[in-house]
Amino acid sequence: MKILISLLMTITIIFASDATIEVIKKADSLPSIAVEDSSIGINKEFKIKFFKSLVADLNVISLFNVDRNYRTPKYDANEVSYENKDSDYVVRYKIIKKDNGELNIKLKMFNKDKIVFNKNYKIKQSKIYMFVAHAIAYDINKFMGEAPIGWIKRKVIFSRIISPKKSELVIADYTLSYQHTIVKGGFNIFPKWATKAQDSFYYTSLDERKPTLKYINIKTGQSKIIKSSDGMMICSDVSDDGKKLLLTMAPTGQPDIYIYDVNTKKTLKLTNYGGIDVNAQFMGKNKIAFVSNRLGNPNIFSKKIGSNSVEQMVYYGKSNAACSTFDEYIVYKSRESSNAFAKNTFNLHLISTQTDFIRRLTAVGINEFPRFSVNGDAIIFIKNYKAQSSIGIIRLNHNKNYLFPLKYGKVQSMDW
Amino acid sequence: MKNILISGVVIALLTFSGCSDKDPVIDDTAQNEETPIEKVAPIKTETVSSDDASVISEDTSMSEDTSNDYSSDNDSNNYSSESITSIEEEMLPIYFDFDRFNIKQSMQSNLSNDVRVANGSASKYSLKLEGNCDEWGSDEYNFALGLKRANTVKKSLVAEGVDVNRITMVSYGESNPTCTDKTEECWSKNRRVDFKLLP
Repeated sequence: MKILISLLMTITIIFASDATIEVIKKADSLPSIAVEDSSIGINKEFKIKFFKSLVADLNVISLFNVDRNYRTPKYDANEVSYENKDSDYVVRYKIIKKDNGELNIKLKMFNKDKIVFNKNYKIKQSKIYMFVAHAIAYDINKFMGEAPIGWIKRKVIFSRIISPKKSELVIADYTLSYQHTIVKGGFNIFPKWATKAQDSFYYTSLDERKPTLKYINIKTGQSKIIKSSDGMMICSDVSDDGKKLLLTMAPTGQPDIYIYDVNTKKTLKLTNYGGIDVNAQFMGKNKIAFVSNRLGNPNIFSKKIGSNSVEQMVYYGKSNAACSTFDEYIVYKSRESSNAFAKNTFNLHLISTQTDFIRRLTAVGINEFPRFSVNGDAIIFIKNYKAQSSIGIIRLNHNKNYLFPLKYGKVQSMDW
Repeated sequence: MKNILISGVVIALLTFSGCSDKDPVIDDTAQNEETPIEKVAPIKTETVSSDDASVISEDTSMSEDTSNDYSSDNDSNNYSSESITSIEEEMLPIYFDFDRFNIKQSMQSNLSNDVRVANGSASKYSLKLEGNCDEWGSDEYNFALGLKRANTVKKSLVAEGVDVNRITMVSYGESNPTCTDKTEECWSKNRRVDFKLLP
């Protein structure tokens, strides 16, 4: 009987340790993927850039253990490279350059020597090659049956401070490997996409006598002045249909939140508190979340448009000075240290208005300016750590963060 | 003894079945079963962002006029811009505490000086109050804090008889530091309101 008991105990121990093994297994259980380049007659440097871009994207979709080795079999070979034999998936592509500079990219994906997916891609200019890599990653993610990641193909617009009172507005891909300066010179900040299609944007110009909200249509080059206000003028959010803007203005030196109708050009004041009310974000059509110091320190509140009552949304964090919303979720920036003068840590936290759930999303450095992706499954943010400014992506469902450093200057603000 | 033997065998079997659970080969099989569709889909072609190409073509890039507000081809205006600069230099910045926008006792003498200049040699110009913050945050809240600082100074100037219509305000948040070192002394220099004169 004693032996039986001791054997049972042994089994218990084995099963108890199983939990750990399972965790390790989970971490290891992502399928492997390798990338093969079959391009011929293409500049080697470009080939490596494209390869690296695709490998990085496959990494960001968080579904695979990505093999970073560069291998070059023939495109029509029926089998994957010998070195990639053990890989669960192999992506093989061939870049073909046309005489007019256009690039065609043929792509197929193997699963154990069987072709399971193929598609061709075209771009007019080779300098936007990274958008092809993003499109491929989007398609592979979709092929694997995951929720679509439309954000990977979207463009980021950000303001880069290059010296005091000097900035430029830059349009980039989410990895910052593509960058195009769209507004040079002057002091322009807080760019915000005007439409979901990302064909136009708003921004604040501080070069005028009063802070001025301007609009630029990228396709037509049309630019116009929307509105000016003494003190402050920022477009904090644009409604899903692009017809309403949430503005922070201070016509009498008092920062408050206003809603602006793009068609009628009418403005309605939404907050009246004598302190600071800023950073309004739409929560559906009739409600906003915003940052206010009405309880002493900056914190996140919400209110219905047209109502006077205000609800505190966040009960954690000493100083919560920025937020972004998606459905019932709010991501906010919180100061973690109370020391005004030593190194400060700012982290991003996620809450749901439906539950008491709080999740800390970052760990070190200054993490700020969170923005939800269009479908809410990812958050983009600015990270400043050890004098390096980066754009970060948080994959909420995969619990992973990725950072893309900026080569020079400091990111002031951005939109996705 | 027989009982022990039987239970031993049973337990051994249990243990072995436990082991086989942990065998990665089993996992692989499971994965193969989940492998989606084996048939090859027809090849589609996606033109990747022909939109992107047009979006980012150079000719849509816009350059803003960067010329200084005060510079001009006109000689007399140049002269006036020099005098503006020299009067501006007489006006002293007002410094603030961390996360605060009230005027400290130690800043009262700077403020008195600024009121004197505003009502004296600068009286024919408009005043632009520029609120600034230290580097802790590029968000709207920081800009609002800079503005509240400018607004406090504005209220003090108006209380001392400066015409409210002469005063405009702007906040530069953390984007206009006079000092970029990572020290408290440096940050305290950046939490300030500057005075600019406009013709």
